[in-house]
Amino acid sequence: MCVALDAMRWAERPQGMRDLFPSQARMRRNLEDWLIRFFEDRGFSLVSSGAFEYADTLQRGRGPTASEQWVQVFDRSGRPMALRPDMTPSVARMAAPLVAAGQLPIRWCYAERVYHRSDAPATLSWMSGRAAESTQVGVECIGESGVAADSQLLSLCLDALAGLRRAGVRMVISHALFVPALLELLGVPADDLEPLLALLTAGDYVAFRAESRRFVGEVDVMELLSTLNPFQPDTLPGTLVRPESAASQRLQAAWRALCQLADAIRASDHASAMVFDLSLHRDPSYYTGMVFEVFAPGAGAPIAQGGRYDHLLREFGAPAPAIGFTFEVERLMTLFADEELVMQRGVVSC
Amino acid sequence: MLTIALAKGRTTDGVWPLLLAAGLPLPTDLDETRALVFDVAADAATFQVHRMRYLLAKPADVPTYVQYGVADLGIVGKDILMEEPRDVSELVDLECACCRLCVAGRPEDELRPPRRVATKYPRLTDQYFRSQGTAVEIVPLSGSIELAAVIGLTDRIFDLVQTGATLRANGLKVFDTVSDVSARLIANRSSYHLQREAIRQVAEALAAAVARRKTG
Repeated sequence: MCVALDAMRWAERPQGMRDLFPSQARMRRNLEDWLIRFFEDRGFSLVSSGAFEYADTLQRGRGPTASEQWVQVFDRSGRPMALRPDMTPSVARMAAPLVAAGQLPIRWCYAERVYHRSDAPATLSWMSGRAAESTQVGVECIGESGVAADSQLLSLCLDALAGLRRAGVRMVISHALFVPALLELLGVPADDLEPLLALLTAGDYVAFRAESRRFVGEVDVMELLSTLNPFQPDTLPGTLVRPESAASQRLQAAWRALCQLADAIRASDHASAMVFDLSLHRDPSYYTGMVFEVFAPGAGAPIAQGGRYDHLLREFGAPAPAIGFTFEVERLMTLFADEELVMQRGVVSC
Repeated sequence: MLTIALAKGRTTDGVWPLLLAAGLPLPTDLDETRALVFDVAADAATFQVHRMRYLLAKPADVPTYVQYGVADLGIVGKDILMEEPRDVSELVDLECACCRLCVAGRPEDELRPPRRVATKYPRLTDQYFRSQGTAVEIVPLSGSIELAAVIGLTDRIFDLVQTGATLRANGLKVFDTVSDVSARLIANRSSYHLQREAIRQVAEALAAAVARRKTG
């Protein structure tokens, strides 16, 4: 038998884990280093934390089903903990005492591995789905609210991609509270809101159309969402503006925020790379404002994502507005050819 | 260019008239060659792209091509998407290539409790029989599922049934219809945003063709 295929002879690699051999491992480390240096140059300080968090820490601000995605274990006293699914809960836990002491704003960056339960083969899930283990390099900004902070963060993300010389990227922006308010305004009962939003997050527009039609009758919500463009504030239909309705007021507040953001974006260098799509709805549930995903030709899934989460720090005992985003490093790697090298001074071909 | 992965066989046969009715530029030599990739020119004024590329893939692989992003769009049966949920967007129910997911078996087994079930859909089979409150042993097979019941390997099969002709020819009978399935237009999540206009045109043309077929 071929020696290489003799399973008895070689040690097994755990399911979902992936090895990187020299050139790929070097590229990943270079990318992490480049991004961290980029963020540090712009005033973000590098932080790090252990890979485990208590499950109740991760649970704060998230929906009840979030834990299905986690790799959970028990500590020696039997208390459940999990490998972090992303860095935001750890950053919030670390920042809360500083927030309480009034040390704002906090601008941190990180480069860490994150973990998810996954049955898919690692190679597929790295490229497109959720990998069991992947690398995130991101920033969190705590203590800054308002449209200026939002648009600066969006620019920071696109500046980084421009620095890496990735062309053709598109940033898709939405608002976490817009669709929930719209569905409520159109008559969807509160109990049915979550499952509907989950369909939208999953991208199952067929089921979303069918299910939403049960509540909203003649309105095609997907069609309505596709006509809304915050660059043109008058695309919001007047029928949705009802002063007496609480849902309408929330809808209009989200819309105003988006229109202000559109104004700020119009003036930026990256305006052509940014689009609004209000059908974009993101997990986790703690987002309270602008949310976004970044796509690039060659990567089948978002290479960066983020948003505003103004209530999460309150869950950690110290209220403060916050915003952040993260790059998915393994997906970014798929945008580089083998002969391209990311060096500290930029991208070079060899 | 827009790349569309088609599920080879039954699904493509079923959706072909709809693709024609929707006015999509289609290859004319699909049946005559053994090729798997077909490039055709598209009307850029209508579809925003100059070319469309069609890939012929095994049905279960269509979501894989789409999830990787090598195909921007895919047309595949809902049964495949239900059995193996993937991170793709489901844009349009094409309401054709319709089938039923059924439990079937030999008539003499109908009144006996199920013990062993052969299927291409182990996940859905498990879900179905657990929802019935029965524990069964699942025998995963990759094709000609009827054979398992005919020769007595299993007392049930859980399979896709189109006309029922194969079942009848093998002396089998449908015991229960679990779900109706139809072909779906799916999109890669990244393409959905990067090729938004072109994808929107294709999805709208197909949705309009579905609507015309219903009223006509």
